[in-house]
Amino acid sequence: MSVTKRRLRQAAAVALVAVTALGAAAACGEAKPEAGAKPDKLIVDTFGEFGYEDLVKQYETANNIKIELRKTGDLGDYRNKLVRYLATGKGAGDVVALEEGIINEFKLNPANWVDLGQYASAGKSGEYLSWKWELGKTTDGKVIGFPTDVGSLAACYRRDLFEQAGMPFERDAVSASWPTWDKFIEVGLQYKAKTGKGMVDSLTSVTNAVLFQHTGDLFYDKDDNLYNPAVKPADRKPTDLIAANSPAVKAAWDTSVKIHNAGIAAKTATWSPEWSAGFKQGTFAVTMCPSWMLGIVKANSGDANSGKWDVAAVPGGSGNWGGSWLAVPAQSKYQSEAAKLADFLTNATSQVTAFKKSGPLPTNKTALASTDFTGYTNPYFNNAPTAKVFGESVKNIQPVHLGPRHGSVKEKAFEAALNALMSGQLNADEAWAKFLNDVPSQGAF
Amino acid sequence: MSLSATTAPPPAASPEQAPRKPRLAHRLARFDLKASPYLYIAPFFIIFGIFGLYPIIRTVWMSLHNWNLIAPDRRSFIGLQNYVDLLSDDYFWNAVRNTVGIFLLATIPQILLALFLANTLNRGLRWRTFFRMAILVPNVTSVAAVGIVFGTLFQRDFGVINWVLSLISVDAIDWRNTTWGSWTAISVMVDWRWTGYNALIFLAAMQAIPRDLYESAAIDGASRWRQLWSITLPMIRPTLIFVVIISTIGGLQLFTEPLIFSGDSLGGNLRQFQTVAMYMFEKGIETTTTAGYGAAVAGMLFLMIIVASVLNFLLIRKSVR
Amino acid sequence: MTSVSQRPSGSVGLLVPPPLSMARESAPRRLWHASPLTYFALVVAVLFSIYPLYYMFIIATRSLDTINDVPPPSTPGSAFGDNFQRVLEADAANFWQGMINSVIVASAVTVSVVLFGTLAGFAFAKLRFRGRNALLLATLITMMVPTQLGLIPLWDMMNTIGWYGNILAVIVPFMVSAFGVFMMRQYAAQAVSDELIEAARVDGCSTLRIYWNVVLPALRPAAAVLGLLTFMEQWNSFLWPYAILTPENPTVQVSLAFLSYAYYIDYSLVFAATAVATLPLVLVFIVFGRQIIGGIMEGAVKA
Repeated sequence: MSVTKRRLRQAAAVALVAVTALGAAAACGEAKPEAGAKPDKLIVDTFGEFGYEDLVKQYETANNIKIELRKTGDLGDYRNKLVRYLATGKGAGDVVALEEGIINEFKLNPANWVDLGQYASAGKSGEYLSWKWELGKTTDGKVIGFPTDVGSLAACYRRDLFEQAGMPFERDAVSASWPTWDKFIEVGLQYKAKTGKGMVDSLTSVTNAVLFQHTGDLFYDKDDNLYNPAVKPADRKPTDLIAANSPAVKAAWDTSVKIHNAGIAAKTATWSPEWSAGFKQGTFAVTMCPSWMLGIVKANSGDANSGKWDVAAVPGGSGNWGGSWLAVPAQSKYQSEAAKLADFLTNATSQVTAFKKSGPLPTNKTALASTDFTGYTNPYFNNAPTAKVFGESVKNIQPVHLGPRHGSVKEKAFEAALNALMSGQLNADEAWAKFLNDVPSQGAF
Repeated sequence: MSLSATTAPPPAASPEQAPRKPRLAHRLARFDLKASPYLYIAPFFIIFGIFGLYPIIRTVWMSLHNWNLIAPDRRSFIGLQNYVDLLSDDYFWNAVRNTVGIFLLATIPQILLALFLANTLNRGLRWRTFFRMAILVPNVTSVAAVGIVFGTLFQRDFGVINWVLSLISVDAIDWRNTTWGSWTAISVMVDWRWTGYNALIFLAAMQAIPRDLYESAAIDGASRWRQLWSITLPMIRPTLIFVVIISTIGGLQLFTEPLIFSGDSLGGNLRQFQTVAMYMFEKGIETTTTAGYGAAVAGMLFLMIIVASVLNFLLIRKSVR
Repeated sequence: MTSVSQRPSGSVGLLVPPPLSMARESAPRRLWHASPLTYFALVVAVLFSIYPLYYMFIIATRSLDTINDVPPPSTPGSAFGDNFQRVLEADAANFWQGMINSVIVASAVTVSVVLFGTLAGFAFAKLRFRGRNALLLATLITMMVPTQLGLIPLWDMMNTIGWYGNILAVIVPFMVSAFGVFMMRQYAAQAVSDELIEAARVDGCSTLRIYWNVVLPALRPAAAVLGLLTFMEQWNSFLWPYAILTPENPTVQVSLAFLSYAYYIDYSLVFAATAVATLPLVLVFIVFGRQIIGGIMEGAVKA
């Protein structure tokens, strides 16, 4: 990209931000005369690390409003609570994050959500990766979510542990050492031979990466069927499940089994207490990093381990794991204020700020193109050019159709079976059978 | 316990005793005497009826339906279908197996330990109150706190318990991901909280035993072990059975400890420690579309508790007669 | 249930006839003597009881990076202030609100359980009315009903009347307790003298006055124990509040659960909150332990 072009874009971004800010200020001024229209506070519900801490403070001072950030560690738990809040019309935040695995379920009931289209700042719909924007809309065209991030993939690795094991530890060398998953296993075996430890944290870490490196259906087909629609309900067998015939699912599964058999997993189930502690203790040296995972790696590892992690390319090419939208539940008492906040949190500058803080990768094209973003290197990760690593693969992301209860099937059926395999509770065939057995009940909606 | 009448209240004051009372006051006094007992017990029965009894009856009603917790228009009567499905539901039977297994693994050592502790406390001790308080203090701790603290103690990689085991060269145990490990960890949480409490209950019963029984037995040359066996245990048998019943009702409803240990209602990768109450929660509250099925799980659990209680009740009658 | 003091069961009867012997004087003393082994066993039991709580306080006072140390830390650190500061900053879990709510809920339930328990206990023990024994039996049976099983409809009901997320939902259903009624009935039967009641009636006191002036003062010790036990139970209650309350307006236990989900990485924060949530009861227990133990043990004999 030429310098002038970049400048132009930068200028455009600045102008856009200025317009947005002015717009917000004006709206705020208008709202003031109305008694009671000013909320005491707005609540933002997120899970994991969204990197909103500083942005929220900034918004608070600029708008003289109190904002509360509610975080939940585990997405499954987050979803269950949200379902209940929506069901009862009480308890949900004014702005809630919806992850790709659960948003389709929530789209089934559009009445629960505010149509953000009416509140969006001018031209917002055109600012984002188009597929991402489209996925935030219901079938009847209502915008229920402003895009936050995509989970563009890389691999986080501990350069100090690689170095101690006498292996290549510079990021380019590491990237080059594992172009494919088979090569990845070879590297893992090498690490194990030197250290006696598992290299990668868990099987599900790998699975999530592989799952989205393929195209085609995962657990549901395009029409949200769990079973091959050609088979009559009475004749359905586990082998008729979409999941049983999906090449992506199969590839993800087989790769995990190979890794398990090679013994290069450290057997710390992702999100478990052992896993969280393992970051500090060096229980494992590699974990798959969608960009939003950077914040989690950092939070788990602590300041003492700054500079020890680094970011390399993910084996098997790029991929996408996760990514979210911000929505406003219809039960919010301050819908327009909440929508404005959601608009602010997803605008170009905010997305870059959040990225720098915790890693969620921008979906706003202006943000992706801004030098503020592209030039960023992450000091915690040994100054890895994270923006470059993640930003380049973002263009290659192909949207995959995820069914209504994708998150539930993935976590409670697919990952549970893999964790059982990893911990030695089941062998590979048993685990596969268990997975297929659990799909119908977890996937029903 | 005796339900026999205690001394009856005296009859209402007769006119001779209060000659100047006007008729209205007299009537009021009569009304007071007749009605106030019912007024005094009414709050209990009304509140219990609404919030205790009615929901249980309604559980049975819901269990006969395909019940969507949040969409009233998506409910339909399906008779016993939920129960039929339940009988062939592997995960339900798995939960039953886990519940009974954890119950036995927790209760048997707990009662033995409590008996031992009670027997130990039932001696001429210094610092008696201190010892009693110290073994009761776990009972004051909330289940949520127990879950959080023990969840950390039982961690695989950096938990204190595995560290202690490593001192005697035992390899790290994966407490969450093995059936026996998880059952043991949960049983330890339950027992930690309840052993001291039950020991005090047993102690109370033991102190009610006339001491001369022991004295004579000792003079007869009965060993201490034999005294425990042939005096203490038979004498506290009603209490023992009482404790067993309460533990059964509590144990069959076990929920919070495994929930916090697991972090969700599934109870491990293979549901190796999902209890019936957790399954009820999963189907009835978490999955809003299957509330009827969850109610059926509650119905079955109710049945299990009734059966267990009746068995215990028969035992009591037998032991008391 | 059956009163323990009531009857020895059959097998014991055979042992009873006491033969005389020379050892008669010294036997009792030897029999009840506590050997060093006894103390050893008790000290071990005490260590097991205390250690998890001790561990909780240790972690609560340590900074995060020492927590996964091997061997585990065994002495308190100095970071409690820091850790608790983070608890308060974690406004998502509303920890203070949870503490305040817990005080309100536990106090309201305690007052109510004691009030209705003493009223009904007095009626069952000292007043004569038709159906008394049947109703008392019914009360006893309700103690056996596993109310947890009504969870789903109760949730449905609270949601319908708009109490989801409202602390009334965790107060009102628990305002009476069969245990409380029964405990007060048993105590009233023996602690309140019929003569006093009779005398009051002769003086023209209404039943309510008798309750207030005669019965309640006599029941005070037992009522205090019932109150303590109820308060502790309510403070620690988890499942129902967890199902029906939101993080906006939790009880302290619910707040703890949300903290432990949201900050699962930050053990010192979670443990500091856990310690603070546990401390009030431990203090109550240290001050009133004797009475609480007395209450539990008497309850056991009487039940």
